[in-house]
Amino acid sequence: MITVHGLYKSYGAHPLFQGISIQVEKGEAVVLIGPSGSGKSTMLRCINGLETFERGEVIVDGIELHSINSKRPSKQEAERIRNVRLKLGMVFQQFNLFPHMTVLQNIIEAPVRVLGMSREQSVADAREILRQINLEGKINSYPGQLSGGEQQRVAIARALAMRPEAMLFDEPTSSLDPEMAGEVLSVIRKLVDGGMTTIIATHEMGFAHEAADRVVVFDKGNIIETGPPTEIFTDPKVPRTREFLNRVLGRFRI
Amino acid sequence: MYMAAPPKPKEGTLERIKERGYLLWGADAEGGAPYAFPDPGDPSKIIGFEVDLADAIAHELGVKAVQSQNAWDSLIPALERGDFDFAMNGIEVTEGRKNHVLFSEPYYIYTEQLVVQKDNTDIKSIVDLKGRRVGTLSGTVAQDILMGMGGVNVKIYSGQVEPYQDLALSRLDAVLLDLPIAAYYAKPNPKLKYAGPPVGEGLYAIAVRKNDTELKKKLDGILAKLYSTGELKKIYEKWGLWNKKQEKLASFFEDSGATTLEEGRRAPVKNFFPMLLKGAGVTVLISVSSMALAIGLGLLLTLMRLYAGPPFEWLATSYIEVYRGTPLLIQLFILYYGLPNVGISLNPVMAAFLGLGMNYAAYEAELYRAGINAVPNGQMEAALTLGMTRGLAVRRVILPQAVKIALPGITNDFIALFKDSSLVSVIAMVELTKTYSMLAASTLRFFQLGLITALLYFGMSYPLSLLARRLEKRLKKDQR
Repeated sequence: MITVHGLYKSYGAHPLFQGISIQVEKGEAVVLIGPSGSGKSTMLRCINGLETFERGEVIVDGIELHSINSKRPSKQEAERIRNVRLKLGMVFQQFNLFPHMTVLQNIIEAPVRVLGMSREQSVADAREILRQINLEGKINSYPGQLSGGEQQRVAIARALAMRPEAMLFDEPTSSLDPEMAGEVLSVIRKLVDGGMTTIIATHEMGFAHEAADRVVVFDKGNIIETGPPTEIFTDPKVPRTREFLNRVLGRFRI
Repeated sequence: MYMAAPPKPKEGTLERIKERGYLLWGADAEGGAPYAFPDPGDPSKIIGFEVDLADAIAHELGVKAVQSQNAWDSLIPALERGDFDFAMNGIEVTEGRKNHVLFSEPYYIYTEQLVVQKDNTDIKSIVDLKGRRVGTLSGTVAQDILMGMGGVNVKIYSGQVEPYQDLALSRLDAVLLDLPIAAYYAKPNPKLKYAGPPVGEGLYAIAVRKNDTELKKKLDGILAKLYSTGELKKIYEKWGLWNKKQEKLASFFEDSGATTLEEGRRAPVKNFFPMLLKGAGVTVLISVSSMALAIGLGLLLTLMRLYAGPPFEWLATSYIEVYRGTPLLIQLFILYYGLPNVGISLNPVMAAFLGLGMNYAAYEAELYRAGINAVPNGQMEAALTLGMTRGLAVRRVILPQAVKIALPGITNDFIALFKDSSLVSVIAMVELTKTYSMLAASTLRFFQLGLITALLYFGMSYPLSLLARRLEKRLKKDQR
């Protein structure tokens, strides 16, 4: 479903990725963990073309993106990137809802204007999605009137309304307090259980342990270990993984 | 109407006058009495000895005379670009001007009159002017005389009322100006007096375009006829401008022009309202239309600069820098008087609309850009990940938020533009400020008419601020 192969990316003279690869099968839930700045988010952003990369390729459902070098891609390139994005839903740490639109307008904007869906159909879809995440009552609210957790759930709803083949979550709960994080995680959990292909960059180890099919450990732009959660969390092979887990789990146990 | 440029003379101007049924003569009504100025009794009418002379000339041609308003300083360039058939407004015959225009035979012999404060005993003639502050009008022979003397502290004015006012307020030691001007403005003023007899001697003549020899000959014939029938003398006597010098006999000068000035001082204020309101109407028309242009063009410039890539980005940036970095006044002059040199002749309304609109577009563009840059990057990323193209994302997500941020600045600019619109009077537009200065110059009621004019401006811009404030509040409510 999603293949990253030999990805090379640097910031000026500082290399971040030096030819890393990752593969996600249809229906698989992959959790990316690792210290801040280790490349989890950048990996997600490379996959849907928000970041340039110098070498390697990203293949999403058969569409290939080769090195994106330019901030100003050619027309064909831009169109290929857009086609990749149509297959992927993305959720950001900062929600990024459109503040000048209501919840409903946020959700139906892209289906109507990008997919050409009828307004009636997309409103019906939006209501159904909002019902599933218990936000029907907020349909006409503006983002500024919602709590952080509610905003993030709307952002998920907005991505789902495009009927994506896979979802990318970029630290979806990092700017939420634990209670709100719980609401958001349970929505993501439902998606994973429903068979949605997902890649999640997160610091929520508990969630990773329960929901992931596979955990990928990043460190300084390298994938240092990958495996099922039980293996990674109970018996990590790589010393650096162990150090990292001791650090975060130690902190979270207090 | 906007696109209609004044036609370049193809056939002779004389034929065109007859064909048209009226002659168009250029003069500056702000130049003031007794040449051509708004009638204090009915300010929508221009009167003066030159108006009477123009009527007499038109009568001889079998047509009507229509005055075309134009700033005095630029009467000659306006004539050259074909805005009117001839210019007649106390234009002195000088060698410099002969390079640009053809002069008719003179219709008046003027002298220069020195004026000082009533109690001044030091200055008896122009030889006493060394080291003194002496006021005069820009571009006049009097200015040449003063400059030529050397050692005189010459203060140049663009109106003929202000030097006498400054003299009365002791900001000047003396004023040297053409006798008709002194006769009208200085003689009736009890604080001022003539110092010595008139000096110098020069000629007022009608200026026509260089190739209009036929029209010049016709005008010469008509002037000769008006001389011989005594009609010219009648006109000058009416305005108190007749003197023996006109018969080539140097003698004393009598005047009575002061009666009109007194009338102007007494006329009820309501007489001036129709003209001021008309001026306000022109101001609104110019401001609203050029603001619309500025908003549209500014948006285009911003989008080019931020999203269109190298050649367009560079073009838009240069446009903005050039327009912000040069004075609006110069831009207006180039548009109106400069472009005819390359064959593009805009009428005053069009030039004012383009001049103001294109200038303010540069400022609007910067406001939009600041607005767009203030929208968090995540907004564009979120829109892109939903499959939107950049264009759609800009239109639906970025711009609505950017406009909200830019709105207070845009309103501010609109109000500023309202006031800047007074600058277009330099390109022959008679809007509110120009109307005011014309009326004030002929009646000396600077204070009263000034207050009324200021109130009119305020009455137009204040509702705008209120509207903008309400709009801002409503937009803010959308997204707490």
